Amino acid sequence: MIRVGVVGYGTIGQVHCEALQEVPGCQLVAVADVDPEARARAQRDYGVVAAESMEAMLDAAEVDLIDICVPTHLHEAMMVQAMEADKHIFCEKPLARSLEEGRRLVELAKGYRKKIGIGHVVRFTPAYRGIRRSVEQGEVGRIGVVRTFRGGSQFPEGWQDWFANFNLSGGVILDLMIHDLDYCRWLFGDVERVYAKSTCGRTEVRLEHAMAVLRFKSGVIAHLEASWTNYPGQFYTAVEVAGKDGLITFDSRKSSPLAAMTVPGVSAQAGAVAANPYALELQDMVEAITEDRQPLVTVEDAFGALEIALAAVESARTGRVVEI
Amino acid sequence: MVVRIGFLSIAHLHAHSYGRAINGLTGCRLVGIYDPDQERGMQGAKEMGTEYFADPAELLSQTDAVIICSENSRHREFTELAAKHGCHVLCEKPIATTLEDARAMIDACARAGVKLQIAFPVRFVTPVLRVKEMLDSGAVGKVLAIVGTNQGQMPGGWFADPELAGGGAVMDHTVHVVDLIRWFLGKEFVSVYAEVDNMLWDTGIDDCGMLSMELEDGTIVTQDPSWSRPMTFPTWGNVTMRIIGTQGMIDLDAFAQNFVVYDDAHRKVSERSFAEDMDLGLIQDFIQMIVEDREPTITGYDGLKALEVALAAYRSAQEKKPVALG
Repeated sequence: MIRVGVVGYGTIGQVHCEALQEVPGCQLVAVADVDPEARARAQRDYGVVAAESMEAMLDAAEVDLIDICVPTHLHEAMMVQAMEADKHIFCEKPLARSLEEGRRLVELAKGYRKKIGIGHVVRFTPAYRGIRRSVEQGEVGRIGVVRTFRGGSQFPEGWQDWFANFNLSGGVILDLMIHDLDYCRWLFGDVERVYAKSTCGRTEVRLEHAMAVLRFKSGVIAHLEASWTNYPGQFYTAVEVAGKDGLITFDSRKSSPLAAMTVPGVSAQAGAVAANPYALELQDMVEAITEDRQPLVTVEDAFGALEIALAAVESARTGRVVEI
Repeated sequence: MVVRIGFLSIAHLHAHSYGRAINGLTGCRLVGIYDPDQERGMQGAKEMGTEYFADPAELLSQTDAVIICSENSRHREFTELAAKHGCHVLCEKPIATTLEDARAMIDACARAGVKLQIAFPVRFVTPVLRVKEMLDSGAVGKVLAIVGTNQGQMPGGWFADPELAGGGAVMDHTVHVVDLIRWFLGKEFVSVYAEVDNMLWDTGIDDCGMLSMELEDGTIVTQDPSWSRPMTFPTWGNVTMRIIGTQGMIDLDAFAQNFVVYDDAHRKVSERSFAEDMDLGLIQDFIQMIVEDREPTITGYDGLKALEVALAAYRSAQEKKPVALG
């Protein structure tokens, strides 16, 4: 039984704790959060140890796997601390806030005896897995042009509004587009150059819309779009892959198998298949530990996505093409 | 006044739709078709219920205006010919394949005192007109970003011949969206970056493209002109735009008013439009312009500015860096 301690009980920490309940072979034993209210919530929700820091959590509970769910700018320090404690580590994406931090983690991970996995959850979503399978099997032939979209929901609210602080979050490219950057890298390999545009720095309004054009070494041309809006909207994702022998399209708004409207005034739509991708990514991590293998998304994989994301951020800032 | 109209070449398939529009309208009359390809010209004349002229001068002596639906690289010679005969011109897009030709066309029409309109019919699509109204009324505040697509199936024929078409997908499918954005916002494009390649069809001409651009007011724009719709796709393609403003956003899918037909006999699923005919709107506007003797809704200059962006995209792809527009 893998004993899991989750660090950070904010948005994603709560999602992970809930998902862990579905994962066989593991047990949530502790939570750490600097915010007393978050600690009280965790205790109430799961009846587990709720400590004010990772250090205090490790003192209070026996933990095998540390699941890091803190804001991006704290990832590197937390991962280093978890490595010093000699624990298995799962860390929410992105790997880190800067290239230097990312490089340091890649170096440290090389000699590390325990497992480290990074939460690029899109690789575990059934639709995206299915699309990858179709591409790999050559169903649409050699790939030419790819488009992805991710967004449509309001600007995220986080602890001390860290998402809105570009220095902490890296904006919509590093926080949101990185999902599709990792996914495209997984399908199409290494990127040669990036040219990106973002509304970041062009408006005072609380929104960010970004578009990146990638050229892969394989020749594939991709357009990735990510959006945090300032109006009420529904989060959705879309992807299309055009090959020599056909086209694959997916739009999460169109795979909505259930709609219910009730009185008074409650409506629910479910686009979810049974599988919870967060549970699947954590299950992969737990199995990596028990089977002594690498998890699906390694530190090096996550560094690859980080590198492209930061190149896109730089391109958007300077207006120049960035070679990888 | 009945405006007498002729076709100078019907190499571009849109000619048939324009012909239907003319035949369906009062206030204008289709006089005939000249086409250097006699067989195509005669066939077209039969289908549109009009006459074939073997001599363009003879046709032009009987018309007030012409519609030029030749291959792109021949727009200039036909425009100059029409201008010489004092005929107004509606020219299929793109205006030409070089800026030099585009300028010569504008000059020839100005000198002859005839009007030159470029066929960007998407401006006459009802949802597109609504978007223009919404933007003008400030419905989404200041526009910050636009993500456009004009993806399509590979049109084949002379469209895949660089000599005649002047380029592939990027030449074919950049100008519509660029024209719409210039019209929507009244701003010019100042920089263009593009990735362009031939990866989807065995034509040797570009079929994959991705443009990333900026307007003079800092609005960021991307446009996908790829011929990335396969032969099994239920329709020819699309024109879409996502417009992000400070006060909201607009998602436009210009040709989304369809019903779907599943046809076992031909093993084909197809979307059929029930929207108003945009070509009818374009022709109506062209006729009105002549009758009212006013400036064209879509000028030669509009055509030139859209072409400038498409040509800059090719240059950017060659140089692998953004190209500045003057």
